[in-house]
Amino acid sequence: MATATTAPGVPPTPAVPARTPFLAGTRGYVIRKISWSCGTLLFVLVFNFFLFRMLPGDPIGLYSRGRNMAPEQLIKLRAQLNRPIGTQFLEYLSNPFASTINSVRFNRPVWELVGERVWPTVLLVGTAILIASVAGVWLGIRSGWRRGGTFDRVTTGTTNTLYAMPEFWVGMVLLIALPFFPSGGISTPGVTGFLDTVLDTAWHMVLPVTALAIVYLAEYTSIMRASLVDELRQDYLQLARAKGLREDLVRRRHAVPNALLPTMTLIFLNLGFVIGGAITVETVYSWPGLGLLSYEALRGPDIPLLQAVFLLFSLGVVVFTLLADLLYAVLDPRVSTQ
Amino acid sequence: MHHLVRRALSVALAAGLLAAPAATALAESPAPSGSASAGKVTFTVGILSDVDSTNPFTGIVVEAYETYALMYDYLVTSSPKDVSPMPSLAESYQEAPDKKSWTYKIRSGVKWSDGQPLTARDAAYTFNRVIEGDFEQTNYGNYVTNIERAEATDDTTLVLHVKKPTPIMERLAVPILPEHIWKDIDGTEVKSYANEPEAGQAIVGSGPFRLIERRKGQFLRFEANKEYWRGAPKFDELVFRVFLNADAEAQALTRGEIDFAYDLQSNVFESLKNKPGITTRSSNYPGFNEIAFNTGAALADGTPIGDGHPALKDKQVRLAISQAIDRDVLVNRVLNGHGSAASTFIPPMYPALHLDPATKQNFDPAKANQLLDAAGYPKGADGVREKDGEKLTLRLFVREGEESQATGEFVKTWLKDIGIEVTVKVMSEDALTEIIGQGEYDMFEWGWVVEPDPDYQMSVFTCGKRSYKDGDSIFADLSDSFYCNPEYDKLYEEQSGETDPAKRAELAKRMQQMVYDDAAYAMTYYYNDMVAYRSDKWTGFVPQPDPDGSLLFQYGIHSYLSIEPVKPSASAAAASSGESSGMSSAVIGAVVGGIAVLAVAGVLVARRRRTADADERE
Repeated sequence: MATATTAPGVPPTPAVPARTPFLAGTRGYVIRKISWSCGTLLFVLVFNFFLFRMLPGDPIGLYSRGRNMAPEQLIKLRAQLNRPIGTQFLEYLSNPFASTINSVRFNRPVWELVGERVWPTVLLVGTAILIASVAGVWLGIRSGWRRGGTFDRVTTGTTNTLYAMPEFWVGMVLLIALPFFPSGGISTPGVTGFLDTVLDTAWHMVLPVTALAIVYLAEYTSIMRASLVDELRQDYLQLARAKGLREDLVRRRHAVPNALLPTMTLIFLNLGFVIGGAITVETVYSWPGLGLLSYEALRGPDIPLLQAVFLLFSLGVVVFTLLADLLYAVLDPRVSTQ
Repeated sequence: MHHLVRRALSVALAAGLLAAPAATALAESPAPSGSASAGKVTFTVGILSDVDSTNPFTGIVVEAYETYALMYDYLVTSSPKDVSPMPSLAESYQEAPDKKSWTYKIRSGVKWSDGQPLTARDAAYTFNRVIEGDFEQTNYGNYVTNIERAEATDDTTLVLHVKKPTPIMERLAVPILPEHIWKDIDGTEVKSYANEPEAGQAIVGSGPFRLIERRKGQFLRFEANKEYWRGAPKFDELVFRVFLNADAEAQALTRGEIDFAYDLQSNVFESLKNKPGITTRSSNYPGFNEIAFNTGAALADGTPIGDGHPALKDKQVRLAISQAIDRDVLVNRVLNGHGSAASTFIPPMYPALHLDPATKQNFDPAKANQLLDAAGYPKGADGVREKDGEKLTLRLFVREGEESQATGEFVKTWLKDIGIEVTVKVMSEDALTEIIGQGEYDMFEWGWVVEPDPDYQMSVFTCGKRSYKDGDSIFADLSDSFYCNPEYDKLYEEQSGETDPAKRAELAKRMQQMVYDDAAYAMTYYYNDMVAYRSDKWTGFVPQPDPDGSLLFQYGIHSYLSIEPVKPSASAAAASSGESSGMSSAVIGAVVGGIAVLAVAGVLVARRRRTADADERE
């Protein structure tokens, strides 16, 4: 590329060597993905604010129903909500996670409410996804490698049937069929001590986690199976066999790693939705999680709480999608050089 | 190991590590004292909605008020026999001859759980805090409207100075709080104050139970106050356990995980009948449901609003509709018999106040037709009545939920028989609240729960409680029928200053008669409260009112003080027979259905596989 003409006497600026495309390579890939995520987040922030301002309903009326409130207090509360929308927006933007805003329904700071609900959900859904993905990947590999075999038929038939069953129904059946597990909740009143609490919690988790994992299982199994089947006829597998590798090694070292990408996508997408919770299973097992909180918030509508919950859900999806994108680059270098 | 597999594994490991803080977060909060519940007798109550807050200025659900009643004392309570006023923390009370104040004699020797004495000063502090407070008014504002200030003249004497004579002074349902704790929580802090135990340290109160552990959405654990002035509770710990669905709650009761299941739906209730060791009980409850009319929506100043059908301004049309409703059918088919036909707006659970009208608006379609003919709504060719070319077509809004929708369908059919066309629309309670406030309805189905003091319920029918305007927006007040009758308002004013219970009851009855005759509502039913409990383990419940009232969640905490475990020998035998896991018929149906579906699915999958194999072999 030619250098720009400059005034006489001034030394010419050194020539730029070969022009590299803007933000290429792994670093470029990472920067691109991160900035894209930030843009999405910003949009979510703005959208989140105006969406809930457009909903119909009288939040103060809902709040005061059933309370012995004095009229002057109602007027004061209304004045809060009747401030100019611009002022409210600025206040929101300055700190969307502000803990000073109270939930209308629960009369408590929204992030405090969300905070205490988020861990039970992460624990429940996170464990279920972990179990389902590990078991699903294993089942998918086994059945895909011997496609059409007895193991494949049994696995695919069973997981698909389980997948077709509603979560609450699986939950109810487990609850009634296994009466020695607790009928709900996370912990037993009065249990103390670290180890006892952990064991007690694990004991309470058995049924809900099983119910969720059973339903998730089919997704992972079928995706893993399908992508492995795609790899089966690839030439590199023939080559590996021709090298004299054992069938086992061909599968483990060559086929599976290449077939793993779609499954990783699925796992991370699902992890993004973890905080969305599993409303039905949470209901069956009286599990005080975020899914239920968002349902209650929506019924109000409890605008401050809804805003917080939606922001958190969006944040979860955006962050995990970003993580998945970044992991692709690690798992498969081709992604970042394209 | 292939590097990709290894990386995938480390990713999985990282995910596991991410989940670890969650586990520890849940695992923390060990209570140092009272290590195990070994040897302790615990009474566990299953509830279907969590206590929204243990701060008595914040919570609003029935379960929360029950919690406050357990943790704190009140000046007065309601008797178990007939829900009449009964002295409690105040041994006695009386109105001054000049009617300008009330004097309460506070029981001496009562102690807070931290050992400090409870005196009249605590009571005065509590009332003044509500009177002078802002947020503090939220839950108790109505009780103190007429109280000027509270004063403790000595440790056992509380004087409440009133602006004008008021009967509410016998019903002051305000929990007395410890001044030495609450004086440090200012008006701003109180809004978000949780009032929850930390590190096993009980919340300071004077009631029969002390809150020692709370897990939101899961349970509340109380410890009995063995020095309670009304006598020690006969068990050691009380637990409220939250269930998010009634089937699981019933399941827990049959397994013996809980001792008392509150707030049951009728199908679950039926499934628990005749289970060994379990007693089901459908108790009288002070709630009613109604079809409310838009009697002419207007603001409190009389400005008309909304789009209600003009025909409903005519009392005769409303009476005709009321007489077209077969209340016995509603009780039997909608409530499964767990209730009774309703007439006036103070339920018979309050015998002193309830009016049983001499002539009732009984189911009588012929009479209803007559009334409508006389009102000038002749039947058209299509069987629908009309006046001046306008059809008598009414909107009926019902709420989400089986009972409301079923009532709506019944009413639609009955009104069709008398020539009124009804369009039923289902909506959420929140949406309906909004629409009622704007007066944009003809009829809707809803209900009220009536407190022992009838003032609040009676105020619903006053002109002043119609909607109001603030800026350009219209907001709902309490009125949901826009009933406005100056004569009624006069009686309301009169009763609000009447401190003689007999005279006030007389006024309340006249007011009920008035609203009944004017048919602001077509009352449908008084409903029951359905519970089930382990009668093989527990005995001694005190119903309020006697003998058909509620066992728990009463106005007062009478049952908690008298229930006791059944003698061990009898309970052991009964308990072992009662352990067989039961399930509601709906659940059995679901299980059988599900197994059938599974079987069919299995066969189908197997067959498809076989054909697929055949294809592949070709």
